This record gives sequence, C-alpha cells and structure tokens, in this order.
Amino acid sequence: MRLGRPKALTIAQQYVNLQGNPLSAGHGTLRAGSFTWAYATSPTPLSRDYLIRIEMACDASPRVFVDDPDIELLAGDRDLPHIYRNPTRLCLYLPGTREWQPSLRLDQTIVPWTSLWLFYFEDWLESGEWKGGGMHPGEASRTRQGRRRLGIRRPDECEIGNEE
Amino acid sequence: MNYIAERAQLRQSQLVGLIEEVCQHVEPSSYQRDMAKQRYESVGDWLARSDDWLLASIAIRLQGSVAIGTAVKPIGANEHDVDLVAHVPDLDLAVSPALLKQRIGDRLRSNGNYAGLLIEMPRCWRLDYANEFHLDITPSIPNPECRLGGELVPDKTLKMWKASNPQGYRAKFERRAALLPRIRSVFGKAFDSARSDAQVEPYPEEKRLKGILRRIVQIAKRHRDVHFIDDDQGLAPLSIIITTLASRAYETCVSNFEYDHELDLIVDVLRRMPQMLQTTTIEGRLVWCLWNQTTAGENFCEKWNRHPERATAFFEWHGKVVADVENLAGTRGLDQVRRLLGDIFGTAPTNKAMDSLIERVDTARATNRLSVSRPVGLIMGTAASATPVRANTFFGDRP
Repeated sequence: MRLGRPKALTIAQQYVNLQGNPLSAGHGTLRAGSFTWAYATSPTPLSRDYLIRIEMACDASPRVFVDDPDIELLAGDRDLPHIYRNPTRLCLYLPGTREWQPSLRLDQTIVPWTSLWLFYFEDWLESGEWKGGGMHPGEASRTRQGRRRLGIRRPDECEIGNEE
Repeated sequence: MNYIAERAQLRQSQLVGLIEEVCQHVEPSSYQRDMAKQRYESVGDWLARSDDWLLASIAIRLQGSVAIGTAVKPIGANEHDVDLVAHVPDLDLAVSPALLKQRIGDRLRSNGNYAGLLIEMPRCWRLDYANEFHLDITPSIPNPECRLGGELVPDKTLKMWKASNPQGYRAKFERRAALLPRIRSVFGKAFDSARSDAQVEPYPEEKRLKGILRRIVQIAKRHRDVHFIDDDQGLAPLSIIITTLASRAYETCVSNFEYDHELDLIVDVLRRMPQMLQTTTIEGRLVWCLWNQTTAGENFCEKWNRHPERATAFFEWHGKVVADVENLAGTRGLDQVRRLLGDIFGTAPTNKAMDSLIERVDTARATNRLSVSRPVGLIMGTAASATPVRANTFFGDRP
C-alpha cells in the first residue's frame, strides 16, 4: 500500500455500513471474504420499487444487480445504457479513477448512485435519452483536459475496462 | 406513519405537483393575460368614447374561460380566445342584435389600430392579435325578464336576442370554486383552493388561476382537445358543458365526501360529471338537458338533441378521461407517468414538466446538493438521515 492512501474498508465493515444506513435497509449474508446484500429502493415517489442486490468479495469491485423488476424486459429490444453484461449489472462509476475506491463506503457511494441510475433509467425508458451523463469504453478522452474533466488525476493508474 | 403509507402520500403529492405544473404550461401565460387585459381595456375605452348614442353607456366585460380562470391554449397554436361582452345597460329589445353588432363594428373599424385586426364572426366581432389571442366581443343588453340579472345576446342568425348570464355564471362558478374540499392528506396541498377566490378583480390575478376546480376543468378540457384532435364534425363536447358538469360535480363531492388526497377528489369529480345531466322523454324521444342555473331557458346540451352523436361522443370521451386519470393515479415509474400524462395533456406540455423534473436533479447533482433518503428517493439539498450523492461517471460495456 502506498503512503497517503486511505485504508481499504474490510468486507465486514462494508456489510455493517450497508446494514446501518436506512437507505439500504435490507438483508444479506456475510461469509468469509465476501457478502451479498439485498434491499428495496425507489429513486422517486413516482418510481417503481426495485430490488437491488450488491455482491462484493475481497480485493474485487462491488457488483450491483437489479433483481426485480427485469430491467431488460422493461427496455424491450433496446440496449440498456451504462451496464456491464453477462450477467447484467449496473455500471455506476468510472473505474480507475477515485470515484470509488475500497476505502469508500458502499452505502455512501454505490447505493446513492444506484438510485441515480434508476432515476435516469426510468426517464430513458420513455424519453429514449440517457440524461445522466457518463461514458462508454472507447469514449475515454486521451487528452489531459478530457481526463481532468472526468476527474482522472493520475492517468498512469487508469485501468479502464479492467474493473474486476 | 409507516413507510408504505408515507410513500403513497408522497406519490400522490408528486403527481398532483406534476399535474399543476403541466396545467401551467397549457394555460395562457401571465404575459398573455397581461397583454389581453391591456388590449381589452383599450378597446373598452375606445367603444365608450364613441359619439354613437347607441353606444353611450357601453362597457366591456370579461366572460368565459378567461374570466373564470379555466382557459387552455389550443393544441399546436399560441392564440387563445378571450371572450368579452360589450354590454349596453340602457338598451331594450327594440334594438335588434344585428343593429347593435353593426354599430360596434363601425366604431371598431373607425380606429386604424383595430381595422386591420377586425374579423366578423356570426354573433360577435373578433380582434385577431396573431400569436397572442383573439378578443371576441359579443354585444349584450339587459334581460328584463330575468330575475337573476341576466343578459340578452344575439342568436346565431342575429335576428333574435337570446338569454344568457355570463356575469351570473361566473359568480356561481367562483362560489363553487371557493368551496373547500375535505382532504385527509397530511402532506402537500398543491392546489390552494382557499385563497383562490379571495378577491374579485376586473381580470383574474395569477393566483386566482390556481385552485382544484379550475385545474379539474383544465384537465378535462385539455384531454378533450387531445382526444378530439382530428374531429371535424363538431363532436367535441363544448367547454361550457364540461365546465358546468365539473363545477356541479365538484360541489356535490366537496359538500358530501371526504378524500384521502386531492387526486382522489379529481378522479371522483371527473367520474360524477355525467350524473349532473338531466334527461326527459318528449314524444318517446330522449331529451338531454343541462340548464344554465343563472338564467331561464338556456340548455347547454341543446344541440345533443338534434345531433345525438354528440351525446355519444361525450360519453365515449368521458369514459376515456376517467380511465386515463385513474391510470395515472395508479401508475408506477417515471416512464409510465410521462406516457400517461401525455395521454391526458399531450406530449409537448408533458415533456416540459417531466424534463424540468430531470433538470432539477441535474442541477442539484452538478452543484453537489443532491442526496437520497429512503422514503423520498432523490432530494435536492439535505435532510436528516439522507445520504449525499457524491460525484460519479456512469460507465459500462459498449452497447
């Protein structure tokens, strides 16, 4: 570990924080070195209720699934924006940047970003336009200005596409 | 309050807030209202300063939907009608409608500002302000036989005077609109029915355009305009019929029932509208009646009896408006809300209201003021037990 970097939270600490935040109130299973956490959420009072599952293992990035409703069914024959495929899971931050790192609490990053994703998802379903910004692989700017705009401070640490 | 009940209340309040916002997009803007007021006051002034003895005591008054605050802009056009009565209190039946109308037209034409805008309509004069509104000026004289202070206006042929009572109708509508519903909701009261009728002004002030009855009428009229967009046979129910049915149903509802939420009241008023129609049978034929309660002898449904297809069209539309508003009230998902609001109000005003919801979230997100709480979801600003939304960049596989 490099000096000056905040210490990564343990799997158990992440689990307890998810358990303690009313926003992610739900239930889960904590094992040695991994956990699964499930909770219900809705991005606005007008929105559907969604069942979210977060899976995390030691030294890996969190994986976020929408268990219900079936978001691919809702999307019909359109490609869902801002997801990883096989299996389908939400892609909530730019890997290789400090938007999310193991020292940050999931209940304060991944959980609110999931609400934000669901908000823009429901809008996208009818308007056809993803208004939440972001980027897809290959769109990453190679210029210094572009990196700064994305908040990528250390291009040498960037491992875009090598998330898990 | 438990989570589910709180969520249900919040959902209804947000829906009502959205309806309120869409209604603001479908009604004439405050700029249009101010312009119309200036214009019709000038017209009134010009008529009153005429040397024509017939017009010596003429005065211009607002009537119709602008007067009662239920106007909606026509779909795809910017001009709406502003209905005015040019009332001459000291004339009697000896003056024919055609003569009075002609004298008013002569006076308007003698003003260079009006001559170019003037269009003759069967019963009135229209001043056509392109891209703003039409001022429709209908001649009127007192009705000596009306105990309720009614007036006489030209019939379609201009040969006869017929009973009407725009001032009385307006007063009755405003009295009903001022009735306060009993709402159990502990949350939002988006429609301010209490204050809406606090003052009577020559032209409705902005806050008078709010209030739940006015919004119900606007919802129904706008839905009518959407539903009958391709109607070229005059099947669409008249605004006076919709407004009268809704205001009587509203009086019934608020006088007799208590509601969990404004949205329940809106649905119930819409549902009960046809109950306010009367029917009789004359020579084996069904006759529809919706009497003007403010003067004798004016049946707003009169034409249904010569064109029964209009009654059929009304009931078909009514079933649709009730179903559409019920669907909206029961739906889940911002996508479904946008779609169902669009069914009721049309896509343009719906998109404006929905897009501004997205923009409010975008703005809060860009300025680090967005947070999430469990019952509400995304909120602008912070609250106890809310979690701030940190900056993020959505990523993902290439589609």
